[in-house]
Amino acid sequence: MSATDTTPVTLPTAAPAVPPPAGRARRRGAKDPKQTTARHLRSNRTAYLMIAPMVILLAIFVIWPLGYAFYLSLFEISFYQDAKFVGLQFYTYVLTDPSFWHSLGVGLRYALMVVPTILVLALLLASFIKTLSKRAAAIMKTTIYVPAVVSSVLTSVIFLFIYQDEGVANWFVGLVHARPIAWLNTDATALPSIAVPGVWLGFGVSTLIMLAGILDIPESYYESALLDGANFRQRTWYITIPGLKNVLLYLLVTGFTLALQEFQLPLIMTGGGPVDATNTPNLYIFNSFRDATPFATSYSLTASLLLFLVLGAISLVIFRAVSSQKSADS
Amino acid sequence: MRHRRLTILAAAIVAASLGTAGCSSSGGAATNANGTVIVTFWQQKFEDYQQKWFKENVDKFNASQTKVKVNYLVVPADTWAQKLKAAQAAGTQPDVATTNYGGIGSGVASGQFAALDGLMPPAAFTDVKDNVKSFVTIKDKHYAYPMLVEPSTVLYYRTDLAKAAGLDPTNPPKTWDDLVTWATKLTAGKVKGMTIASVAADLGWSSWGLQYNACGRLPLSTDWSKAQATDPCYTKLFTLYQTLFQKGLMPTTPKVGYADASPYGQGEVAMMADGSWAIGQLKTSFPAMIAKTAVAPFPSIDGDPSRTTATLGGWSLTVDSKSKAKQQAADFISYLLAGDPATMAGFFKLSGFSKFTVRTSVDQALSTDKDATSDPFMKIVADKIVPNGKAEPSYPFDVSLAFGTAIESAMKGKADVATAQQSANTAIDRVIQQQHLAGTNAGS
Repeated sequence: MSATDTTPVTLPTAAPAVPPPAGRARRRGAKDPKQTTARHLRSNRTAYLMIAPMVILLAIFVIWPLGYAFYLSLFEISFYQDAKFVGLQFYTYVLTDPSFWHSLGVGLRYALMVVPTILVLALLLASFIKTLSKRAAAIMKTTIYVPAVVSSVLTSVIFLFIYQDEGVANWFVGLVHARPIAWLNTDATALPSIAVPGVWLGFGVSTLIMLAGILDIPESYYESALLDGANFRQRTWYITIPGLKNVLLYLLVTGFTLALQEFQLPLIMTGGGPVDATNTPNLYIFNSFRDATPFATSYSLTASLLLFLVLGAISLVIFRAVSSQKSADS
Repeated sequence: MRHRRLTILAAAIVAASLGTAGCSSSGGAATNANGTVIVTFWQQKFEDYQQKWFKENVDKFNASQTKVKVNYLVVPADTWAQKLKAAQAAGTQPDVATTNYGGIGSGVASGQFAALDGLMPPAAFTDVKDNVKSFVTIKDKHYAYPMLVEPSTVLYYRTDLAKAAGLDPTNPPKTWDDLVTWATKLTAGKVKGMTIASVAADLGWSSWGLQYNACGRLPLSTDWSKAQATDPCYTKLFTLYQTLFQKGLMPTTPKVGYADASPYGQGEVAMMADGSWAIGQLKTSFPAMIAKTAVAPFPSIDGDPSRTTATLGGWSLTVDSKSKAKQQAADFISYLLAGDPATMAGFFKLSGFSKFTVRTSVDQALSTDKDATSDPFMKIVADKIVPNGKAEPSYPFDVSLAFGTAIESAMKGKADVATAQQSANTAIDRVIQQQHLAGTNAGS
């Protein structure tokens, strides 16, 4: 239906979404307002009872520890001496530490390398799988999911060997008669080198989620577009991507949050080096915590709380930028 | 009926608690059903032979008496800090733990360790060599009992490759310039001239000896009030590391850290800077390499062999200040480290004489051991490196990490030497200010 078509459309089976209360009362007969209130309260009580376990668990395992962590961050904590109240001193230390900001920058750059790459690859692959036969699609789906079940520790070790002076990556470099590259020990290449296994680990799951989203888009949209002569790029741009808005939002938010918190790959592959080039925020906090001084305990606690705020802010920005909406067919 | 059920339930809970815990509390210290005091001992995981030695001797101690039972736990090095912190937070920290000399100062400052004077016989400390006593002594009190020392920087080189490159293997490099010349000549094909630390965390501690060599001191004033990393005497140290890395004389993507001798053992490098512990690894894992290997003191900035090139690292046992069984914990340390000299002599034999005793009586026990006196590596390390070695610094590792990061920056072209030194200075000053270090050096 074109935008200029003004013919009224009747949906014979559709009932009004919210019928006027008066009409309902009239059909079912007028009721005592007290009874209505009682049912309303009963219905609320059931809802509260159902969410209560989760609220209690959240309170015990998230809200209380978070509040207590903030309280502790106001002290220099020692396990052997009385904790010393220092107010917001550690917040000043963390916020004025160039290493903290550098680690956030590293995390953001890593996320910007990994998340868009995963989304583009997943979109292309999911679109391709959709065109395959059932049997071929099943084989492809299983194949692309394999990296998701491989341990990230194992992946790190495999890629560590790939990037060695005599590794596979430098074998390819050797084909063009260039000198071996110190992939993991050069400032410019270390972070992209870690992003490659990051993409490899993440794109399988994203592809499957995206494929599920694509399969949810009514086939009639594509058929109409084909009749109108739309090519693959136009179908992707005008049908697939708008139809996947909520899926993309989910993958963006979770992808950015997870990528910013990447820890294992740099821990195993580079230890955060060279010269902090791969020192992601979590690795930075972890290395601060490992120091044996009371200062280190309070510092890493405060840095963790600030990272929590940063992650929350980034998620908020993404939510604002890509507002979610109900499915086109709902 | 209901009352009876409750009684049975209560009895079952008490029995289960006693059964699962296997111990109860008596006079503060944990005891088992026989009244034996339980002492927990955490050992950081080292080479395999060390775990074997500790296990055997803990078992012997437990079998030798009935008053104390030591529960022995090996903790991997990479999880040690967080496991110990978690235990300290929960109040379940071990009574006895392995502690390196560099960690004693900060541990004492935070009240972590109990003084051992009064818990161990004075003769135990009289037996400790004078130059090691200061490692465990703060304000005239002993807070740890030393186990061994091991120089952090020794030069290992392949005599066969040196000969093939036209170098004289009996005359190893004496200066840093000589070292670069040797590394250049020995770099051929897939074999690099040498390997040395190249990441900040390793550079932070493995360069202590060379920091002393370059400037005669570390980049922090004696009273810990001021950073001194911009001193021009450090420039040549930065340049040495930078040259080795940027000229491709060392592996650019090392597979393992500084402490691991595998690249040398596997023939990937012709020379190696590593601690004396590498002798043990070469003897056990790469025995074929021993005949082709010689050791020498690491070259000095100006060729003066009497200048320090290595710090004397090593391990000690400490008793936790919150332990409820301090005396029993100290008794165990007395048995293990300060008792029969043959016990520790056995340890050094197992180590392939890659570590060095801190007790005069153990030296005497080893003097009658033919293997010990005829070991060529031990003789060079003991005669030429250990006497010039200095104690590891006791300031927080953040200071060393700042200096190590600066060296790494210069090596990998992230900054020129002057900028890197300035960055180290700024970072060290920040540590001094934030951790209130000024005037806290107990050794000053």
